[in-house]
Amino acid sequence: MHRRGVGLAAFDRKDQAKRFAELSSAISQSQISHLNSQLDQFRTALTHFASTHRDKIKSDPSFRHAFQQMCTSIGVDPLAGPRKGGWWAELLGLGDWQYELGVQIVDVCVSTRERNGGLIEMSELIRLVSKLRGVEGGSISEDDVVRSIKTLQPLGAGYKVVDIGGTRMVRSVVKELDEDQTIILAIAQDEGGRVTVEMLIQRKGWLGERARTALEHMLLQDGLCWLDDQDEESGRAYWIPSAMDWGTDDTSFSFT
Amino acid sequence: MSLSPHTTPSGFLLPSIHSAPPFFTQQPNPATQAIVEEQWIRLLLSYARHRKLFTLRVDDSEDKGGEWDEVLRNERINRRIQSAYLSKLIAKLVEKNVAAYDPPRQTRSVLVYWRLPEEWAETLHQWADSTGQMNTILTFYEITDPPVPSPLSNVPLPLLRTAITILAKTNRAQIIAIPDGEGVRFFPSK
Repeated sequence: MHRRGVGLAAFDRKDQAKRFAELSSAISQSQISHLNSQLDQFRTALTHFASTHRDKIKSDPSFRHAFQQMCTSIGVDPLAGPRKGGWWAELLGLGDWQYELGVQIVDVCVSTRERNGGLIEMSELIRLVSKLRGVEGGSISEDDVVRSIKTLQPLGAGYKVVDIGGTRMVRSVVKELDEDQTIILAIAQDEGGRVTVEMLIQRKGWLGERARTALEHMLLQDGLCWLDDQDEESGRAYWIPSAMDWGTDDTSFSFT
Repeated sequence: MSLSPHTTPSGFLLPSIHSAPPFFTQQPNPATQAIVEEQWIRLLLSYARHRKLFTLRVDDSEDKGGEWDEVLRNERINRRIQSAYLSKLIAKLVEKNVAAYDPPRQTRSVLVYWRLPEEWAETLHQWADSTGQMNTILTFYEITDPPVPSPLSNVPLPLLRTAITILAKTNRAQIIAIPDGEGVRFFPSK
């Protein structure tokens, strides 16, 4: 029978285990402090970067885009973080900027919803948002709008960027466009807003009934289009305001 | 096709919505209709103000070359408002108190209030005051067809009468029977 744990050797072993533990904790201590110092360095560098480039990030869309891309590639979300608005966002003030833009996007989408049925072309949205921001606001890009719309997602308001016939549009109603509607919108884009049953039959090979149902649905249920019953060609044309070129006349809906 | 504002021969600036073909059709979707109706009402009122037009008739939609032509039709896109739609809009004007059927008890003709009767009352009183005609008796004709053109020139009699009635309520005017019809005497504000 061999009994372990008695005799001097046992003291040695216990002592060794203790020393190993000490060593290991010393190593992790040093690693932690090393990490901490690295983090500090990183933080300092970021702070420096932020303070140097803050204005440029806010005012220059292409610089902002590059910055956002850099953030993505190193796996940092400039808006995310343990603190409200995110640590980096706080440094840059970018969080506020992005949310502010989000609010302005909502403003434009809501105020134009009546006329476009909740679907607005990206360029028109940018034009109206820029107008709202005034000249000092600095210019904004599509990329900014897309990002801001992402920040709106938790609100569940249904804001979404959709691609219709190669044109980017922002949809602000919780309503999925079905396939037929997407096709109709794409044709409207090409035709300055006007769509007829005949166009859908000729170009898409639809049956008359399908075309009529889809158009009438957009007209009556969704309010996405307007009716013209004096159309020379077909007698009944459907006009989609979000695809019509309203020029830059903003008096149309607010003149007096 | 780009929609753009357009200046008419009479110098009125039409908004770009006026060059959108569906603007001339009554919209079957009530929400959409409410918006375009609002646009039409503003357009009709501002055009009336621009041309100093007092009367709008359902028949004006058929009257090519008539005084409302510049807004009721758009030759550039070959559209015009149909009488059934104009009739609806006229009813809307009345409903919003910016027009009144004249003569009463029919619905094909209205007086357009591009100034509210209360505003006409003030205009009338100010005119009488500034032309030194307080306390004198004036015929209606002397008001609507003065030797020196005034803001009141050509004001229709029913509207003039309404304005005087409003002033009478605050003792600033009094209708007086005169040999060949009616007259009015204005009193200074207290």
